[in-house]
Amino acid sequence: MSDDIKPGQIDADRRSFFRSVGGVSVIAAAAVASPFVATEAEAYDPGSEEARARYRVTDDVKAFYRTNGYETKKK
Amino acid sequence: MARMKFLCDADRCIKCNACVTACKNENEVPWGINRRRVVTINDGKPGERSVSMACMHCTDAPCASVCPVNCFYTTADAVVLHSKELCIGCGYCFYACPFGAPQYPRTGNFGSRGKMDKCTYCSGGPEADLTVKEYEMYGANRLAEGKLPLCAEMCSTKSLLAGDGDVIAGIYKERVMTRGYGSGAWGWKTAYGEAIAIST
Repeated sequence: MSDDIKPGQIDADRRSFFRSVGGVSVIAAAAVASPFVATEAEAYDPGSEEARARYRVTDDVKAFYRTNGYETKKK
Repeated sequence: MARMKFLCDADRCIKCNACVTACKNENEVPWGINRRRVVTINDGKPGERSVSMACMHCTDAPCASVCPVNCFYTTADAVVLHSKELCIGCGYCFYACPFGAPQYPRTGNFGSRGKMDKCTYCSGGPEADLTVKEYEMYGANRLAEGKLPLCAEMCSTKSLLAGDGDVIAGIYKERVMTRGYGSGAWGWKTAYGEAIAIST
């Protein structure tokens, strides 16, 4: 605090400095954020390729089904 | 269209944990995460039952319902997968899942969580099939290779069944008919009360 300011008196220079800096940053943030504000939320769309069926009844799969049915075939 | 399902025959499970080990090894699952685990009910008592549990790939998945960023999707095979690029690690899916399937790597101090990880039914993720990136993020894509999840293929007692829901339900039905008593599937008595007979 400078010597010419009495106790209880507001340091106008310091307050005005932060006010001006704050005002500039709010305007800058609004300018940066404005494109995102207009964008609507979107659910994840995996696309038909990513969600397509990959299961195939191969020899490997057939062998799995066959061996898992052994218990019943013995009796 | 085939619907991929897991079914654990609790009368056969000997809690050897081979399914857990196979899953960790096949998918290079990070330390501290188990996509599959064996749960034992009434351990050491008569009627003890063990069940191998993982993501059950629900038809109406609660995890997908609560996800704030909608990172879940269901494939045409009825496998529930998620995008780790979208996941924010919030943990909502963990609280919603009745099976405790979603897991989180511990990424730092103070309990910070990383991207959610769960069973992918050995079918990778949204990345291109059988690529290095897909393997590093989600693990193996055995379904694209024409195979079934390794946990089920490894099961020595043929307890853990995987594949087309109709086919494995038929296999399990045959087993129940041959045994001559009701289903040993854990939870049936809870669901159907005393109306169903289960051997102990």
